[in-house]
Amino acid sequence: MPMFEAGDISVEVDEDGFIQDPDLWNEQLANALALTEGVETMGDEHWKLVKYLRDYYLQFGIAPMVRKLCKETGLPLKRVYELFPSGPAKGACKVAGLPKPTGCV
Amino acid sequence: MPCHCNTGRLEPSSIEDISKPSEQLAHVCLEDLPKLPPPYDDFNDLPPYKPLTESAREDYEATLDDTMTVGLPKAKSPEEEKEAVDKFLTGLQKLFSKEDNWTFLQPLMLSMEHCAKCQSCVDDCPVYESSGYNEIYRPTYRSEVLRRLYFKYIKPGNKWYKKFQQGDIELNYTLLVRLCELSYRCTLCRRCAQSCPVGVDNGLISREIRKIFSQELGWTQKDLHERGTLQQMTVGSSTGMNTLVVKDNIDFIDEDMTDRTGIEVKTPWDVEGADVLLIENAGEFLAWPENHGCIGLLLDAAGISWTMSSDIVGYDGVNYGLFYDDMQLARVATRHFEIAKKLKVKKIVMGECGHESKALAPISDRIGLDLTPRESIYTLMRDIVFSGKIKFDPTKNDFPVTLHDPCNLVRSMGIVEPQREILRYLTPKFREMTPHGVRNYCCGGGSGFAIQTPFNFNDWRNQISSRKKFEQILNAFKDEGHDPDQPKYVCAPCSNCKGAIRDLFDYYGAKAKSGYYYGGLSEIIVNAMVDAKEPILDWEMM
Repeated sequence: MPMFEAGDISVEVDEDGFIQDPDLWNEQLANALALTEGVETMGDEHWKLVKYLRDYYLQFGIAPMVRKLCKETGLPLKRVYELFPSGPAKGACKVAGLPKPTGCV
Repeated sequence: MPCHCNTGRLEPSSIEDISKPSEQLAHVCLEDLPKLPPPYDDFNDLPPYKPLTESAREDYEATLDDTMTVGLPKAKSPEEEKEAVDKFLTGLQKLFSKEDNWTFLQPLMLSMEHCAKCQSCVDDCPVYESSGYNEIYRPTYRSEVLRRLYFKYIKPGNKWYKKFQQGDIELNYTLLVRLCELSYRCTLCRRCAQSCPVGVDNGLISREIRKIFSQELGWTQKDLHERGTLQQMTVGSSTGMNTLVVKDNIDFIDEDMTDRTGIEVKTPWDVEGADVLLIENAGEFLAWPENHGCIGLLLDAAGISWTMSSDIVGYDGVNYGLFYDDMQLARVATRHFEIAKKLKVKKIVMGECGHESKALAPISDRIGLDLTPRESIYTLMRDIVFSGKIKFDPTKNDFPVTLHDPCNLVRSMGIVEPQREILRYLTPKFREMTPHGVRNYCCGGGSGFAIQTPFNFNDWRNQISSRKKFEQILNAFKDEGHDPDQPKYVCAPCSNCKGAIRDLFDYYGAKAKSGYYYGGLSEIIVNAMVDAKEPILDWEMM
């Protein structure tokens, strides 16, 4: 199984780079994962998205609908892509420590 | 952006090369790729193709080409390798027996026995062409590997004569790991089958190779199997949505749609005796919620009695088994038909999803289940649009539109005109791609590639298998310029195709650079409704 390593961080990830155990997530790890997604610094809006994704995931066990994410955070999709260039599913979910979204999404 | 390699172009020089150990059998240099039309023709402006990492090469069997999607971990011992070869041989025997291959034996036999090796098919393969004609992607290359194995191990006859007539092949572990990956370099678009004078189906051969690996060796692509059909059969949907979550999401969509259109939308659940059981690809609810919202709105506006099912599997039309495994295919399809029977509906209507439609219609016919009648949403929407029950103002769709033909619905099922009749009526700036209809090109995401992103597979798809589609889209909008503030809409009425086209546009920055957007068919219809308060196509959110 591939490992994600950065500084003193070392966690198992899948072939897409998503962490395998969502319980290992913390803010330090999020910062390190963000760098792999082309996000140099995590700003307030980044955290707003990431925290919403995490809370939703802990409640429902999957990632939220993109439209719900935008509506609840007040961030239009365009802004989400500016914040996470690889998009809400591949970028923001990865940084939030969710498993890779599955199915035709 | 010159190629990162130091090997130069690499390709096998013979079929036998697939069994000969080497670091890598094929490599596509970026310089080999056909040029895209402007403004995407400058090599230096294009996104990079990330090479596989060293650690991926150490841990996995990365000896085919520049990428992996199955990603087979390296064998731990020679015994393990021998066991795999033995299992493969058993699988090969089953593949050619009536009792085990109860689905596709006849077309497979035809494809094994009657290829005249005329190569008429090769120019029709978008993967082969877009790779700069690398031998490894020639549609007959992998077919010929299976064909030689068939003649060597299955077909009775004098072995020396067979070897002389058909050519030899060495079955070893190197061949297996390469053949398994190679079966996932074909999008199963079946354009080659269409051009074959005798109907040899290289797409089916790729699919049947995947089947041996899945059913006999357990070698599967994770997004299709573990996260796909297995998750669908246990949780209820390949997306991971259980019944509670899907209902919550559909509520949200209904409310959102009602707010935006001013027309009440309420999805009915588990209504016994409804005329229509609507089964859509559940990915729509998460990624393209308007598509479901608009379909619901149209069914209501036409006064159709319809329902969705909240049973496990009943609210997700996905059936990835179609792409790799007969058992998974039959399990999912059986569930769909059981649910239709339980609800006593008159018919199943399949949403804007190509592989769902093919699995539930012609392929289920082949499996021979106790079948409820089925209809594609394309024909039903055509009937609704022209029923006179809804007032339209086509000028609301005053932007350039082109149509992508999903291979499974159009080439494989022959549903060509209904979607065009709708667009010709409701989109004044509609234009066709060249070629189109049954001669279309795949989006590049066919056979589930759209959802496969391990390692650098995303780069392979966007550079190679989707390349032809991007060229077609650029040509269709050639006269419209590239003003990003002037939206241009690719109508792609299939969940998988939408995923591939979204990734393609993201990859090349086509939204920001050219104003390219994509979406389904139902949204375009509702967008033109006189009674809808706001436009449903919200460019900011697309």
